[in-house]
Amino acid sequence: MFGIDFLLDALTPLNLLLALGGVIAGTVIGALPGLSATMAVAVLVPFTFVMSPATALISLGAIYTGAIYGGAYSAILLNTPGTPSSIATTFDGYPMAKQGRGDLALTLACLASVFGGLVGAICLLMLSPPLATIALKFGPIEYFWLAILGLTLIAALSEGSLIKGLIGGGLGLLLSMVGIAEVGGDIRYVGEFQPLLGGIDVVGALIGIYCIPVIIGLVANPDPHLKSASTRNGFRLAEAFGALMRSKVNLVRSSLIGTVVGILPGAGGSIASLVAYSEARRVSTRRDNFGNGEPDGIIATESANNATVGGGFIPTLVLGIPGTPPDAIMLGALLVQGIRTGPTLFSEQSSIVYTFIWGLIIATVLMLPVGLVIGRYAFKFIVGVPKALLVPSVAFLTILGSFAIHNNPHEVQQMVVLGIIAWGLARAGFTPSPIVLGLILGAIAERGFVQGFLIGGARGNVPQEFFGRPIALGIIAFIVLGLLYPLIGARRARKAAAATTNVTDRRP
Amino acid sequence: MSTPAYRNKASLAACVLFIVIGVTAFVAADDFSMLGSVFPKTVSALVVVFSCLWLLLSWIKPRDMVRAVDGSVLRQVAVGLIMLAWAFLLEPVGFLACSVVAFALLLVVAHYGSCSRRMLMLYAGATVVVTGSLYLLFTLVLQVPLPTGMLR
Repeated sequence: MFGIDFLLDALTPLNLLLALGGVIAGTVIGALPGLSATMAVAVLVPFTFVMSPATALISLGAIYTGAIYGGAYSAILLNTPGTPSSIATTFDGYPMAKQGRGDLALTLACLASVFGGLVGAICLLMLSPPLATIALKFGPIEYFWLAILGLTLIAALSEGSLIKGLIGGGLGLLLSMVGIAEVGGDIRYVGEFQPLLGGIDVVGALIGIYCIPVIIGLVANPDPHLKSASTRNGFRLAEAFGALMRSKVNLVRSSLIGTVVGILPGAGGSIASLVAYSEARRVSTRRDNFGNGEPDGIIATESANNATVGGGFIPTLVLGIPGTPPDAIMLGALLVQGIRTGPTLFSEQSSIVYTFIWGLIIATVLMLPVGLVIGRYAFKFIVGVPKALLVPSVAFLTILGSFAIHNNPHEVQQMVVLGIIAWGLARAGFTPSPIVLGLILGAIAERGFVQGFLIGGARGNVPQEFFGRPIALGIIAFIVLGLLYPLIGARRARKAAAATTNVTDRRP
Repeated sequence: MSTPAYRNKASLAACVLFIVIGVTAFVAADDFSMLGSVFPKTVSALVVVFSCLWLLLSWIKPRDMVRAVDGSVLRQVAVGLIMLAWAFLLEPVGFLACSVVAFALLLVVAHYGSCSRRMLMLYAGATVVVTGSLYLLFTLVLQVPLPTGMLR
């Protein structure tokens, strides 16, 4: 039923050319801080109106998948996530680049992205209708607990101090409340400053909090910004493939997490990659290496965020509910093409849908050569650029990127002010990631909590609403496990260390 | 060998600031509706509690582990000020004029050592190429209406 005919339709020279062009364009746009996958798809949608439906969808799918992967370049080389999906890639990607292993990190990101993308697309091809029903079972309570699950990652991201991580997370949550409340419509923490009515834009804040401290830090001394990988040449493909094979469980688990989170409307690649990173760290025997250049961290985040591409298309195509923001734009493009999404789409317009899915798989495979080539030259280029040129160039991109999100100069001001605050906080020992995590998850957590509270109140049993639903209980179990596991691990490590000391002491 | 803990004064000052922010946010939440105030009050209370806890624990025993690498503070402050001026003058002065000046200033701040004539030419060329090409890409290809400011 997934027919070879549809595969052949997807393999026409025009489709292949557009898929290749889409992956390249998406990768380049995604690599620029501030230009997200949503913007890449939105900007290029009008060009697809003259194409046949399947060809248009293949082009957009290729742009989307390329943009999600492209975010890894700036995350690894500049410590600035090109898209929100690649926030977690900075945690280990940038330390690897600073250690002179940036080329290996980029190759790992490429391989993991291709694998994750393929898992998502294959799930889309084979399991769309049953998986779409999962999305319908997620209500506000489940989203609330999902956000809390994401917030438990603060424990993993708190370098040096959990308390400081929690304070940073709290600050991020407070920032997420600025503006008009989604439920109730209260105007909160705006004061007399009207531009804050719309709230703090997550992408702009992300650019500021991650990028401005890096720009400021770069001028502190004349040392090179990244170590050159002078002893190695090539893609380091064998090394990366070896690391991937050693981490195959992590790779498969993260890809499945990405697919499932992608199915949930509104969750998206940022949550998927954070949850996958958290899980990878939780079960790893090299837990302490995470945040210091651990390849498993990159494998987890990049496979998960690219798996959301295929996962997000599942509710989009089967239910007409977009899983991620770029899916919403693609849904609009589908309507322009005269395609009606819904459960009957797979039977009534199967040729278009299956040709598109095969096209997405082909685009994901094309990402391998494109990503490897761009990655190799991007690393060499960034290492070779004099620091005096890199600083203003990156600063220029941050200003452009934060303005281009909504064409709003106030968001540029927000970005710079937040960035300078983040730089000050970094000097005080506060890391940026918990703040960003609070900012992203705050709105989702509050919306879920308030809606759940209202529903529970109407039914006369609020605790039952929060703790009585099977999926919610499953997520709560993960939260408890995530919180207790580091304590159990630390206790085991202490016992092991004590045992080793005893053995050493007994030796004559 | 692990780094010895020390007492970071900036960290303690930040915690005092967070207590002030938390208390202010908590008090301000009194003006919100019941539903709109639950989350802000909970979060601001937690921020205050954790900040007090950090102050208390740091007072008992130094706890900061990671020392900030200082380098040239003057250059870092200069970059911050240039970025602020860039962001706030973007609308009144115009994107292109503002960006060329800010780009050149950042270049000067980030450069260490003497500057040969060849290097000067390279920097001047790079300023024109980077600002010009990205400006054209955003205005012509991506159709982003960048502020024209005084050039209107």
